Amino acid sequence: MAGQRPIKFRLLELFSDEKEHWNNEIVVQIQKEYNMNSNFGRDSINFDILELASGGMLKSVESKVDEDGVYKKGFLLHKYAITDFGKVRASDACLEYV
Amino acid sequence: MDIRELKRLENKRKMNKGYMWALFCAVLWALWYIPGTIIWAIPPFDTMWVAIDATHGASMATIIVAVLITAFNALTVIIALLVWNGVLGKFGEMKRTLTELHPCSKWFFLASIFGGPIAILGSFIAIGFIGASFAAVAALLYPIVGSVLAWKWYGEQISRRAAFGIVVIMIGGITIFVGGAIADIAAGGVSWIGYLGGLMCACGWGIEGAIAGKGLDIAEPDVGITIRFIGENVIWWIIIIPIVALAGFPVVEYAFAALNPLSILVLGFAGITFGYCYVSWYKSFPLIGVGRGQGIANLYGLCAVIFLYLFFAQVPPWTVLLGGALCVLGSFVMISEETGDVESIRGD
Repeated sequence: MAGQRPIKFRLLELFSDEKEHWNNEIVVQIQKEYNMNSNFGRDSINFDILELASGGMLKSVESKVDEDGVYKKGFLLHKYAITDFGKVRASDACLEYV
Repeated sequence: MDIRELKRLENKRKMNKGYMWALFCAVLWALWYIPGTIIWAIPPFDTMWVAIDATHGASMATIIVAVLITAFNALTVIIALLVWNGVLGKFGEMKRTLTELHPCSKWFFLASIFGGPIAILGSFIAIGFIGASFAAVAALLYPIVGSVLAWKWYGEQISRRAAFGIVVIMIGGITIFVGGAIADIAAGGVSWIGYLGGLMCACGWGIEGAIAGKGLDIAEPDVGITIRFIGENVIWWIIIIPIVALAGFPVVEYAFAALNPLSILVLGFAGITFGYCYVSWYKSFPLIGVGRGQGIANLYGLCAVIFLYLFFAQVPPWTVLLGGALCVLGSFVMISEETGDVESIRGD
């Protein structure tokens, strides 16, 4: 349920549709769900995504420079997809995913 | 600049952030040995030792005092961590994570068993029996345990260079332990329990790191470390202290006596340094991996020897200095690999 589970669980859940998602879109969705609308909240969510990628649960499949400032002007935006290892951890954390 | 180069730079920035957290951990951890040493000499812990020594002997006195000090250390650490989470506004996330026992919190509770009654108690036992310099340097072996477990258990990559660093650390650790034991034998006695305490910290912290790495896959580090210390406080204050009291030791009366301004000040300093060193430790793992995080945090050994010399004029024996230098050299070998292209610490 939105806003009820640890943020990394929810992130894995969102990526469990096996589609590719841009980090800025996911960050905006989580900000809404968890009522974390400050810049600190935004960066904290993005950091959780970075940690999931660093841990091998998400992989960056495409990158582009944020020319329009949709997240932070000049920063790299990443399109992530869940990895096989991510699916295993997601099935552990998100009972919905099999 | 092309995207490839930008990605490489971003990745390097992320790794540098991980190393920065691990370095914070090293400095704060080393500072912790100052209150960790002073606490033995102030009331009521000094009189507690004398009282138990009179009835049960010096070794038992040192262990029971170490138990009470470790319990208070856990208490002040959790206060520091709650302040940290309050400032970051993470109580909501803490509640959400705490209730997810099956996939998440169980790892942190398990980590608290290896970190608390094994590693931190072992450290205080080593301080009590042999001295802070030994205790600080003895635990330097822990990245070997942590890296090997993280590699065997969940496939965290260890490069050839990191493996070489581990071998250097191992030689350093053997120098510290065997050198110290030989000197003690020559002097006519060996504080075996102190060496056991040193081994307890090396194994306990190594195992804790590997277990925490598993939990941190799906939990935020600030929250994970707080749950780990909630677990440790339960172990001390609800399980071990009552058992020690039932065994006839006066821990409860000395626990109340410890609520005096001087020991609160010293324990508070221990809580702040240790609590935030642990936050930094846990925050480095998801970014650079358990092996590298523990490798760089190992610089605490060098910092501790320096701080203990500055504050207490404690000069460790040459075997500790040589072994410590080898451990630090090994840590540098571990972390000096090129990391710009490493996107995932699991190397997927």
